[in-house]
Amino acid sequence: MNNNQSQNVILDKVSPKEFLFSKLAISFYAIIFLFVLGEIILPGFISFSHVMSVLRLSVFLGIVALGQTLVVLSGNEGIDLSVGSILSIGVVLSAYFLNGQNINIPKALLLTPAVGLAFGLISGLVISYIEIPPIIMTLAMASVVEGTSLIITKGFPTGNAPPLLETIGSGKFFNIPYLILLWILLIVVASFVLKKTKWGHLLYGVGSNNLTAELSGVRVKRFRVFVYGICGAIAALAGLFLLSYTGTPYLNLGATYTMPSIAALAIGGISLAGGNGDYLGAVIGCIILTTLNSILVALRTTEAVRQITYGLLLLILVIAYTGRRKR
Amino acid sequence: MKNRLNWKNIYQNPSFPSFLILIAIIILNASLQHNFFTYRTFKSNLLTFTPLILTSIAQGLVILVGCVDLSLGATVSLITVLMASLMGDSLLSIFIVVLLGSGLAILMSFVNGFLISYFGPPPLLTTYATSVLWFGIALFFMPTPGGYIPKSFSKMYRSDLFPNFPVVLLFLIGAFFILFFISRTRFYKHIYAVGGNEDAAYANGVNVFLTKIKVFLLSGVFIALASICVVAQTATGDARCGLSFSLNSVAASIIGGLSFSGGKGSIIGPIMGGLILGLLINVLYFANITSFYQEFMKGIIIIFSLAIGAIPKYLKTRSL
Repeated sequence: MNNNQSQNVILDKVSPKEFLFSKLAISFYAIIFLFVLGEIILPGFISFSHVMSVLRLSVFLGIVALGQTLVVLSGNEGIDLSVGSILSIGVVLSAYFLNGQNINIPKALLLTPAVGLAFGLISGLVISYIEIPPIIMTLAMASVVEGTSLIITKGFPTGNAPPLLETIGSGKFFNIPYLILLWILLIVVASFVLKKTKWGHLLYGVGSNNLTAELSGVRVKRFRVFVYGICGAIAALAGLFLLSYTGTPYLNLGATYTMPSIAALAIGGISLAGGNGDYLGAVIGCIILTTLNSILVALRTTEAVRQITYGLLLLILVIAYTGRRKR
Repeated sequence: MKNRLNWKNIYQNPSFPSFLILIAIIILNASLQHNFFTYRTFKSNLLTFTPLILTSIAQGLVILVGCVDLSLGATVSLITVLMASLMGDSLLSIFIVVLLGSGLAILMSFVNGFLISYFGPPPLLTTYATSVLWFGIALFFMPTPGGYIPKSFSKMYRSDLFPNFPVVLLFLIGAFFILFFISRTRFYKHIYAVGGNEDAAYANGVNVFLTKIKVFLLSGVFIALASICVVAQTATGDARCGLSFSLNSVAASIIGGLSFSGGKGSIIGPIMGGLILGLLINVLYFANITSFYQEFMKGIIIIFSLAIGAIPKYLKTRSL
């Protein structure tokens, strides 16, 4: 069963009927259901501009989820709990590098992901070569990253986004926010890399069985180090885009992204055991979670009610999508 | 799975490195804090560490069976909220509320266990979802920290039973006794069997479903004990007070030599891991590290401890 599915993913051969009832399609129905629900509760929820603003909010989670997708796909209990804090430090660092000047954008675009890459590589090295469980290593890394951003800012982040970046963050092209267009580009590129390139095939290969991958000549350990590195770089880049949206940096903006980035994957039909699923699933998972959150925010409920509803729905989604009856 | 210690190969025992780290950190702490070996310091350390040690045992059991419980911290918070909102001054009310809180902790742990073993979703995500849920419920009843805990209750917790024997030690001794008795049962072997290889355990006639449920119930008992300690120590109900326990207890278990995939390691490990983490925070405090560096240092030291913890596994693969 599992093998068949992963083959389907790689070979891209799915019959139309199968597609209608696939996890991806069901997730898509869930989005439509949520938007209809939102419209019933709050008229105007489904208007074009509001849908766009909900989608724009899911872009940041979506970018973080891309890194998470790569790590989870690479298997061996792969998971990255440091994405939230790397995103946070990405916001702080890019604001510091940019300092409100357009001319600094190339510098920030280069240096911010480089720092994320460094953090990710360190995690990856320890995970691959010292064989520490990813969940706990990336958790400790989260502490280190959070500590680093405290040390460099002394508690008060400085700098802000330059005008050009703010245009990207809040501007629109024919009523479609630039960020969404950027995300679509990212989805296309990521799907292409995962499905059509050698690297993508290696990722699925390592994720579904790292022994066979090793025997086929893949340097699995080194490969996994780079996967964690890329995840870190993407998370830091997400921080740069989040800064383009908020304008000024705050500490710990990323804390609320870590667990949702994993939940989005599970909802999108990406197996947490690795080697199975694709980025489009994660994208849909992100949109579901963000829509849910924005319905709850728009209802002007207290934080308690919001957390209870979010927790309950998350529980139902997790069980519905990833549960399989065991003994 | 060997229960008896093998003295010859003790350095290959998964808990051995954590034992070394523990000794090292005690020495470090004692050298930084000149009154470390006095009764006063011993007691205050014990008061601070007990909740972490108890939650680490709870987490360790769950990890041994191949699951993880991220909702443990939120459970502790919710229990403190419940106790602080219901407790009255009379001895009877204290007794009833403590009993009620413990029951709720066990029930909440049971819910996790049931959902995980009945529907089979990943424990990580399931317990994350329940942790959001518990946190929401706690916040609903107590949006800001508060409530009332009678002074007599906290005083009782902080007092000495005999001279030089603090009451809080009773919690740890109780925990040791529970673990000691459990380790003599067949159920304890089933935990390792299910954690090591679920299918093999099932094929050999182990009731996987029931074993997991029992583990979560047992873990609930330790969470309940931890919550009582927290509420007696802080004398308030706070929806956020327990949140750090979830991940710290996981870290303590792994530092203690448990394998995250389950079925490997000894339950003594998480106890040592909890002690290490607690002493670590002490050391950072007494080394006069400014608060900006504390989070950073904590992460570095956890990574360092984990790396040392990986040595026996490394030696084993070398000697094969």
